[in-house]
Amino acid sequence: MSLVNYASREITCKIVYYGPGRSGKTTNLHYVYGQVPEERKGKMVSLATQTDRTLFFDFLPLDLGTISGFTTRLQLYTVPGQVYYQATRKLVLQGADGVVFVADSQSRQLDENIESFQDLHANLGNQGMDPRTVPLVLQYNKQDLPRDMIMSVDELDEALNFRGVPRFAADALHGIGVFETLRGIAELVLKRLASPAEAGSR
Amino acid sequence: MISVAEPWVEAPLKRFVDDARVTFALLIYPSGQVLGQSGFSRAVEVMSAAALAAGIYATVRELGRTLDGKGFRDVFHAGAKRRLYLAEAFTPRGPCLLLTVFDEQSSLGLVQLYFEELRTALAQTKVQVPDAAPMLDENFEVELNRNLAMLFGRAPGRRHITPTS
Repeated sequence: MSLVNYASREITCKIVYYGPGRSGKTTNLHYVYGQVPEERKGKMVSLATQTDRTLFFDFLPLDLGTISGFTTRLQLYTVPGQVYYQATRKLVLQGADGVVFVADSQSRQLDENIESFQDLHANLGNQGMDPRTVPLVLQYNKQDLPRDMIMSVDELDEALNFRGVPRFAADALHGIGVFETLRGIAELVLKRLASPAEAGSR
Repeated sequence: MISVAEPWVEAPLKRFVDDARVTFALLIYPSGQVLGQSGFSRAVEVMSAAALAAGIYATVRELGRTLDGKGFRDVFHAGAKRRLYLAEAFTPRGPCLLLTVFDEQSSLGLVQLYFEELRTALAQTKVQVPDAAPMLDENFEVELNRNLAMLFGRAPGRRHITPTS
């Protein structure tokens, strides 16, 4: 649930980048970090192994500025993608207001994408969150790789996007689709604060 | 200077900071969302500290369960000049964590003493329910898109943004 301070008119939202190992979750955050001016971001925190694999999480706080008179901030987290960090993923997912699922477009990674997506749904359910209503967008990363190595957006839709949520083709390493993905999830998360149904549930 | 996201946190947190004479105090939900803080100057730094504190506590709790069969209730770390204390409390909204940093002006015993008072106060506090009206305008997307575009340097006028931290 987004944290809202009515007195000082501030909104803080937690967004988690989820997906299989090496799909590009940390790369998304690194790109965002590199684009945003110093005064609008905090330090990027990475709890990683010596080989730069995410061990616990990456974290990047962003100041979005004022929206409808509310100072709006985003907390961007990634989870470790490797299968054996299940407990860590559950912890990071706690209290998430929205999820970006970063899929690896390589054909040989399809099983890992599906397994991670199922893992996301199970973890959301375990925390009492309805996977069907949690704000979610998909990012099909590595679409810059040769055509014969990757699945098309339509093929990935067929495999993963059965909810018909917003999805974005991306090459996160070069920043393509990163901005659009962040805008997509921010819009879905904030939309909940603009709708009477969500406001009534707070 | 105390700043809070929930008004019911302000009085007990201020009393704790004054009595325990700590340098920093940060009250958060276990998910890393900030309830209130004292001692930090930038909002983004508060969020980073909150994320790390939530991570430390989650890790230590699981370590306690693994080694001792139950989670540790608090964590203490002594640095060269500053010391850190992290512990769990409960509010009508659910569990929360206090991260506090102190120096030679205070002591672990003093911090733990006043933390117990803070725990009691938070458990007994009355939580105000906010107005249920929608907060954001229907056309908030326009502002969101403009702000994000400026943040990423994709729109003219980036230099006109006023920092809000």
